[in-house]
Amino acid sequence: MRTQMFHSLKIAAFTAVIFFGLQACNLEKEIEIVLPEYEPRLSVECYLEPGNIFTLLLSKTAPYFEAFPTLDDQFLANILEDSATVVIRHNGQEYPLENRLVFNPFTGKLFNYANFIPVPEDYEHDFELSITSKDGKTITAVTRLLPKVPIDSVVVQFAPADTLARVLTYFTDDLNTRNYYRRMLHFSSLDSVPRQDFALSDRFSDNGKFVFGTSYEFAEGDTVINTLFHIDQAYYDYFDSVQNAFFSNGNPFAQPSPINSNLGGTANAIGIFTGLSYDRIFTIVER
Amino acid sequence: MRNFILPAIGLLLLFATSLSAQQRLTVSGEVRDAADGETLIGATVAITALGIGATTNEYGFYSLTLPATADSVTLEFSYVGYQTAYRTVLLQAGLVVNVELGAGVQIEEVVVKANSFREKMRSTEMSVEEISVRQAKLLPVLLGESDIIKAIQLKPGIPSGSEGTTGLFVRGGGADQNLILLDEAVVYNASHLFGFFSTFNTDAVKDLKLYKGGFPAQYGGRLSSVIDVKLKEGNAKKFAATGGIGLIASRLTLEGPIQKDKSSFMVSGRRTYFDLITRGINAGNKDNPDYSPIPDYYFYDLNTKINYKLGEKDHLYVSGYFGRDKFGFDGDFFDFTFDWGNATGTARWNHVFNPRLFANTTFTYSDYQYNIRNKVTGFSFDLSSRIEDATLKSDLYYAVNPKHTLRFGAAVTSHNFRVGRLQAGNSDGSISFSSGQNFRGVEGAVYVSDELELSERAKLNSGLRLSGFTNGDRFYGGLEPRAALRYLLSSRLTAKASYARMYQYLHLIANAGVSLPTDVWYPSTSRVPPQRSDQVALGVSYLLGEQFMINVETYYKYLQNQIEFVDGARLFANNDLEDEFALGRGDAYGFELSLEKEAGRLNGWIGYTLAWARRGDFTTLSPGRPFSQQGFFRPVYDRRHDLSVVLFFDLSRKLDLTATWVYGSGDLRWLPAGRFTFQDVPGASFQAVVPDYLDRNTYRLPSYHRLDLGLVLRFYPKRGESDLTFNIINAYDRRNTFFIYLEPEFNTVTDVSGNEFEVPKRIAAKQVSLFPILPSITYNFKF
Repeated sequence: MRTQMFHSLKIAAFTAVIFFGLQACNLEKEIEIVLPEYEPRLSVECYLEPGNIFTLLLSKTAPYFEAFPTLDDQFLANILEDSATVVIRHNGQEYPLENRLVFNPFTGKLFNYANFIPVPEDYEHDFELSITSKDGKTITAVTRLLPKVPIDSVVVQFAPADTLARVLTYFTDDLNTRNYYRRMLHFSSLDSVPRQDFALSDRFSDNGKFVFGTSYEFAEGDTVINTLFHIDQAYYDYFDSVQNAFFSNGNPFAQPSPINSNLGGTANAIGIFTGLSYDRIFTIVER
Repeated sequence: MRNFILPAIGLLLLFATSLSAQQRLTVSGEVRDAADGETLIGATVAITALGIGATTNEYGFYSLTLPATADSVTLEFSYVGYQTAYRTVLLQAGLVVNVELGAGVQIEEVVVKANSFREKMRSTEMSVEEISVRQAKLLPVLLGESDIIKAIQLKPGIPSGSEGTTGLFVRGGGADQNLILLDEAVVYNASHLFGFFSTFNTDAVKDLKLYKGGFPAQYGGRLSSVIDVKLKEGNAKKFAATGGIGLIASRLTLEGPIQKDKSSFMVSGRRTYFDLITRGINAGNKDNPDYSPIPDYYFYDLNTKINYKLGEKDHLYVSGYFGRDKFGFDGDFFDFTFDWGNATGTARWNHVFNPRLFANTTFTYSDYQYNIRNKVTGFSFDLSSRIEDATLKSDLYYAVNPKHTLRFGAAVTSHNFRVGRLQAGNSDGSISFSSGQNFRGVEGAVYVSDELELSERAKLNSGLRLSGFTNGDRFYGGLEPRAALRYLLSSRLTAKASYARMYQYLHLIANAGVSLPTDVWYPSTSRVPPQRSDQVALGVSYLLGEQFMINVETYYKYLQNQIEFVDGARLFANNDLEDEFALGRGDAYGFELSLEKEAGRLNGWIGYTLAWARRGDFTTLSPGRPFSQQGFFRPVYDRRHDLSVVLFFDLSRKLDLTATWVYGSGDLRWLPAGRFTFQDVPGASFQAVVPDYLDRNTYRLPSYHRLDLGLVLRFYPKRGESDLTFNIINAYDRRNTFFIYLEPEFNTVTDVSGNEFEVPKRIAAKQVSLFPILPSITYNFKF
């Protein structure tokens, strides 16, 4: 019996080698997918930052598998929606946004509607967006600016007997109101891809104290940029749904999500109209 | 409802009338396997001369009541795969005849369960699927790990979930709508490793029976199926060991008498050894600074059962299951462990009050929990969920006469739920967060079921179950009528019909397309009413010669209070989970056909299912239109065609060949209809392709088909026997879809300053398959 078992174990080990060898086979291939017809719609992104000019991006969605427009003269015309009437109203004042391209070289962001008057720093009154597209469809939205929530402290901790450090970022939430945040962490510069970027609600704290941490990944002299956005629920829902839609793409463990917008009107548009307020701290990693 | 209750009352009156009929005598007893003393379920006991017969119940007990006679009568005991036994007895009051059947000459291994075709035709039961442990062990299976749940998926009407997994979507029902019982205790998560293996170690299992419809009144609590698994009792005759060594796991089962023919035990264990391999790989790379260690993963199961014969009329059984999956990572600054599993316990007392009245009283305990523990220097994060049940139930069988049996009983279950218990914070306590909900609930039911032979051709099984649930704030309850009618059109042709209403008071919170250990059970509350189903089924069975049987069934199932999650539901650490639920309804209908051959050297079956399933009226979900206005969507497992061909070739005493071929329409997937660009706020990454999801599950994956082959080579050394089981899974190397993902492709362009950047060109859809042609070998032994 023991001899037989020993032989069988040898056979099992041999088969295991074959099995793992077979796993190297190509188990992936491209397939053609035909989806139901899709009617493109409009997409809006408008972030009001006190002191900065009014800017808005009005673009068009496209069928999922449609080839992307080539970089020719028609490139922007293919993806942007021009000739719309865009107006933002606030506290009795009307701010029409002109249909013109505005590129911010510092942020790398492009907009096709703008008004060069600074957004007023007013946390008491609503901002109302009204868009009428060239074919008469409407988009409406309302938002209000939120005050920034300061970062309490940024603490650098080196691992015992190691040259790498982690960064802990503390802030305090107001327990009297329901708040939402977006946390971003950059290494070296704001041009880089964020090391951390997520939204959260304040339900994840019992006493209002929050901490965000990193792994032990920063060396002495590195620059770490912490940004804490104070966002409203509409933006939280929108950002969350965009993240879900993006990351559920083919993931068998995830549930896809439609985009959760705060837009009304007849255009059935997707997008977000919200205020931007944030606290940002640059930290140089030192012992 | 009223229309149903009146005939039921009428039947009970019939029962009362029959009690006062002529003088009768009853013979009763147990039928067991002569080799190991295991009770035989569904064995036939007949007195051919009188045209009277009965079958043993799930505890191996039978009772035959017949007119008193001074003559002796001959009892015939038969069971497929066993030699028929005859006992000639002189009838007297309280006569007990216990019989042990010896295995037939053609079958070397014990056939634990298989009704004869004729008995199936005579039974009122329909929409029932069974598979013997012997067949489950012969079937070729992924990595050689025989799995009785995967085996039953080859029967009609039971499509599986993802490739290679043990998920069950019975007749258009959800994965949470299956009542899985192990020795009568509920198993809440019957899978290991995300569903790739079931919790049932085939060596320890005696019998599996799956009800898809026509549910007997003793079952309740889930809408779509009842999977009743019974553990072996342990060899009462001699000590025996069974085991196996496979590519990923080893098994060992020990059983034997404690006191011969009075008490026996069975202990069975199984463990995987992925972790031994990965630890070796990690150790080999210990000095490589760029190497990321592979986390540990393994699972194990333990089954045990002891039975003790207290006397001629009393038998005590105690059994238990304990299984865990363990996943862990131990780093310099980061420790992570994740374990999950079930524990069940059953204490069962069988008592024969008299030859016509048999009682089974059971106490069961069920527990499912997962625990995630996460530690980073100075901080910790623990998340856990648990459901814990204690159930007391009693079932009584009363044989009124050979044409009339009554079954009745009651059950009460105490549920204890811990949902999403999260504890996080730092070591000095300045940062802390906790969340989670605790619930208690009590679920109860009483039932009565009456089986009456109305005529030579017609037999009716009618039942009524009254169930209820309370969580302290709100009580829900309802009547669950059940009925099954059999009509013999000829000696070879039977027509059957059934109706069953079921309530489900517990709901599974699962937001992914695959089974996850973090799926948790949630009770009915004031905002979450119980799910309800009403199912009707019609069927015809035809006996073709003596070896073939054709079954045709059609069904319609209407589902109410179905739960989906709102778009973008947040299930993590959410104390307001009910805000994330959307309630709707659904239906499922279909047609099932099977051709079975049970005996002979070549046996097996062909099963085909044509089915539809829909869900709708979820007002808070897109598309949000009423069901009647095409506002429904099809669940991902809405599989239109499903075909399975299963063949067993018993070539010789030393050699068995097995082949299975399955074909199914592809499952549905929710793919994005459109896309848009999202440039986001300053500092954030630009996303060129964000999917725009509209209607759910509109894309059907390519069809699925696969051929698996198995070969069992048996050895007969001086003592015991052993075999080498060779499996080839996916024999013609079909690339079936496990999942698809969508990937943008980019062109690199150069701007006027000479800087290179990427622009999206197109989106490609990629199909990923789980495995190619995949051979495996397992060594099994028995002595």
